Amino acid sequence: MKQLLKKLTETFSPSGYESAIRDVIRAEVTPLADEIRVDALGNLIIRKGQGGKKIMIAAHMDEIGLIASHIDEHGFVRFTTVGGVYPQMLMGARVRFHSGLPGVIYNEPLEKPTDTPAIEKMFIDVGATSRKDCPIKVGEVAAFERPFLDLGDRLVAKSMDDRIGCLVAIETLRALKSTPHEIYFVFTTQEEVGTRGAETSAFGLDPDLGFSLDVTGWGDTPGRKHFDIALGKGPAIKIKDGGMLADPRIIHWMVTTAEKARLPYQREVLLGGTTDARAMQLVRAGVPVGCISIPCRYVHSPSEMVDYNDVQNAVKLATALLSNPVEL
Amino acid sequence: MSGPGAFSLPFFLPMPEITPFLKSLLSTSGISAYETPAAQLIETRWRPVVDEISLSRIGSLQALKRGSGPQPHPAIMIATHMDAIGMMVTSIADGFLHFTQVGGIDPRILPGTPVIVHASASGEELPGVIVIPPARGLPASVGDGVVGLEYLLIDTGLLPAEVSAKVRTGDPISFATQPVELAGEVISGHTLDNRASVAVLTVALDELQKKSHAWDIWAVATVQEEVTLGGAFTSAYGLRPQIAIAIDVTFAKGPGASDWQTMPLGKGPTLTMGPNMHPYIYNALKELAEKLEIPYQPEITPRHSGTDGYATQVAADGIPTMVIGIPLRYMHTPVEIVALKDIQRAGRLLAEFISRLEPDFVEKIVWED
Repeated sequence: MKQLLKKLTETFSPSGYESAIRDVIRAEVTPLADEIRVDALGNLIIRKGQGGKKIMIAAHMDEIGLIASHIDEHGFVRFTTVGGVYPQMLMGARVRFHSGLPGVIYNEPLEKPTDTPAIEKMFIDVGATSRKDCPIKVGEVAAFERPFLDLGDRLVAKSMDDRIGCLVAIETLRALKSTPHEIYFVFTTQEEVGTRGAETSAFGLDPDLGFSLDVTGWGDTPGRKHFDIALGKGPAIKIKDGGMLADPRIIHWMVTTAEKARLPYQREVLLGGTTDARAMQLVRAGVPVGCISIPCRYVHSPSEMVDYNDVQNAVKLATALLSNPVEL
Repeated sequence: MSGPGAFSLPFFLPMPEITPFLKSLLSTSGISAYETPAAQLIETRWRPVVDEISLSRIGSLQALKRGSGPQPHPAIMIATHMDAIGMMVTSIADGFLHFTQVGGIDPRILPGTPVIVHASASGEELPGVIVIPPARGLPASVGDGVVGLEYLLIDTGLLPAEVSAKVRTGDPISFATQPVELAGEVISGHTLDNRASVAVLTVALDELQKKSHAWDIWAVATVQEEVTLGGAFTSAYGLRPQIAIAIDVTFAKGPGASDWQTMPLGKGPTLTMGPNMHPYIYNALKELAEKLEIPYQPEITPRHSGTDGYATQVAADGIPTMVIGIPLRYMHTPVEIVALKDIQRAGRLLAEFISRLEPDFVEKIVWED
């Protein structure tokens, strides 16, 4: 599992440019799927089982990144963001373009060295000396360059948001021996720019119910308050986030399943941010939805950290949910 | 929850009073995503005056009153959201509850407010009060100014161990302020946004017992308006009405809100104009109100109407939509105020409009280019 996670998180696929990660995931799930296809927005859709309740599970495969907006005469690349990238995460960062080329980020001089520069004052240096010899063209996308780090129970990588959800989906598919349901594992595109892949794939599938697999925040590092989520205390069952209230029937299904299987879990009330489940809930005539969250520190930084036990327990919880009949 | 209506109200009885029903609605919880108590109350009240009732896939109450015109009947959907703004437990510290908002709440008015904590571990409805720590217990930067939600607490009176045994993170919290009828035929309480409009729709359904109507009527008490407009998006898609009307509260004139952008209380419902509303339906309602001498006020909403109508307009392949507003003072506080007359007038106007909808009304809704 850790080897696969390394592979997933070291792949570069910002929103809208998910082909590299789609290939990695497709290779992994092809032997496990009853049916596999890619829809018009690039979502990778895997069916398992047939004829029962239609359940959609969404894990987004895109990651936050940057996009080149201007190359100046000296070959410096100006850029803007794809998804929620904070400027303080970029000072001195290394990035890798979709084409495979690396670059480093710095900024124009600051009034005070402690200031955070605006994105417009930053640039990517790819080693070029002029516009002409710059290998990057306007429109090329990049993502953080940062190797996977195994600290034992704690694992660190860029794009843990949401390759960890992809991993949980893949491992659940692997663990699922049989199911009474018709399950669609959807590896979605463009979540970081507005849950767009989930919106169209949910419309296309018209599921009876569903949930997303995504990261949530954390409350267990210095200075953080009133957020009851800690690494290592189990996957989180979402009750609320910044964009959605989970369906109380789905919460009940998840809580009772976790308790019956004696799996640790945490109850999540997240103040900001949302997941693919929001888009799924509002599609067509509405879908009862929830979310299993993987507690993750330093979300949207190049060093997102999860606990391996939480990941394994998330797989067990998802597998238990999908192995048995469900009546909401 | 479906099945034909058991009976219709006999013609010779006077119209039922709406105030007792409204007061019971204002005493019932049902924050966004947890609307079941409100849905049950509304279902009981509507069942005798409609033909069928069911729940949408995400919990909106959808009542059908069949039309008598030639088949197939066109349908009008009336959306009145039944969810309330409220709060939710985020963590528990020494027996006190930290909380966040569900929907938008003004933190300035919260300290001292009575609430109900829906304690999921024990299944109890625990009374509590919102408390504010003394200034010396707050960061200096907060001190004497407006104290944000993150510093406020709920005290249930229970010992820390009892609280931990009964209450869990994620438990919903409702306002418990009791409704009160004030002099001048106005009512004050929490959740007049938008239970006042549920009352409007109920008045209309009562009126329609003694009127024939060609169109099918989908009376919908929607869920989750305060967070995503989710109930309106999904019911409009599922029911595919030919036209939709959202009824919701709007800003009435009051202290500090008396300029031209606000509407006087008690001078009639507002008929809303702007890109969210179809001008043909606006004009039809305006002309009818003038003909019947029902007071109304034109209201301009240049962008998002902030109502379920914003969702119905773009549901499926698009639904011509109108928004009727009920003027309300002190929006999103536990002491919202609405004039009872405005509820009656809006209900009557709605019933008259529906009963006069001709089978071919929808063909007349055209853009005059």
